Amino acid sequence: MLSEKDLLARVQTLTVTRLRVWVAQGWIKPADATMQAYSEADLARAALICNLEDELGFAEEDVPVLLNLIDQIHGLRAELRGLLAALDELPDDVRSTVRMRITTHRESGPER
Amino acid sequence: MAEDLYSVLGVAKTASAADITKAYRKLAKKLHPDLNPGDKAAEEKFKQVSHAYSILNDEGKRGQYDRGEIDASGQERPQQRYYREYAGGEDGARYRSSRGFEDIGEFSDLFGDMFGRGGAAGRGGARFSMRGQDAQYRLEVDFLDAVRGTKTRITLPDGETLDVTIPPGVSDGQVLRLKGKGMPGIGEGGPGDALVEISVRPHAVFKREGNDIVVELPITFDEAVLGGKIEVPTIGGRVFATVPPGANTGQILRLKGRGIKAKSGAGDQLVRLSVVLPEKIDDDLKSFVEKWRESHGYDPRRKLKEQA
Repeated sequence: MLSEKDLLARVQTLTVTRLRVWVAQGWIKPADATMQAYSEADLARAALICNLEDELGFAEEDVPVLLNLIDQIHGLRAELRGLLAALDELPDDVRSTVRMRITTHRESGPER
Repeated sequence: MAEDLYSVLGVAKTASAADITKAYRKLAKKLHPDLNPGDKAAEEKFKQVSHAYSILNDEGKRGQYDRGEIDASGQERPQQRYYREYAGGEDGARYRSSRGFEDIGEFSDLFGDMFGRGGAAGRGGARFSMRGQDAQYRLEVDFLDAVRGTKTRITLPDGETLDVTIPPGVSDGQVLRLKGKGMPGIGEGGPGDALVEISVRPHAVFKREGNDIVVELPITFDEAVLGGKIEVPTIGGRVFATVPPGANTGQILRLKGRGIKAKSGAGDQLVRLSVVLPEKIDDDLKSFVEKWRESHGYDPRRKLKEQA
């Protein structure tokens, strides 16, 4: 676990104010909220927000939009990975049926 | 890394610091690894772009590079660890959002079941919830009830009853989904659905072909020759159909709109005629036909002989 100080030391452009605002807005959720302790993922996320604002020049109001999309992508990726792992455990003939069906659905477009 | 740093960013050697930043941001927004998780090529390109920017954005280093005092490789930046490396793991789970596929649940029972769990990801510490299982039933329906639609009641093994509305025109094998009438859910999960597979009992007279109803109609020898109005059963009651003079076995009369009323329009009733001789051929008929044959011979097998 990392303290607030550790985070500030390791992310160049991070300040106490910025970090606390982000936590208050829910952009960063300390791994241990009661102890204000952070994980490596929180650190990387803080670095990402700094990077989006400072280097890429996104406005502060754009950041929640981006985070929301990034979180959705990772949510989807995690579910997709789970689904694929589950498919991997199925017998070969079932897998090839699924593959065939996916192709059919892709070709027939998104309608139900 | 031997490539020219200015061309990596797509700017001229004379570009201002502001132009360089602008070009960098435009490329970086497109290529940033956290905005393209899973895209290796974008990551490689992003590294080159950030590297070029780290030199060209620093007035001192840019001068050195322009004067040839340092080459394009400059100094490697310490490896940056991107958020995406954590986002997929256990540590990143609390940030992952399932809002992106709430709608997918409507498309697929599989996904619906999974995401009905109360948030597969993202909502930390959620209580265990699960949508109830779907319950499957089979229901036999009379042909005419299926055609006209009806209401019926299924008694379940546990003594409960379930009211089922059979829509008009339901077809054999069709599955009706009764929302929320399946097994109860756990926690905040709603109940499952009842899936009722309809099996339509065949009818002695009516057959179904799509939305058309097909009926075999026996007619007499004299009706076939002379034509006339003949009573025909339809799914909506008896009607009179006009048989044209000289009608033959196999000929089909179409009664418009007397088939199954579907959303896509009403089907027709098809009446297939079948000429039937009297059970007993009496002397009158026999002597008439003998006489008739002498002067009115015809050969219905002429084509047959030509072709085989």
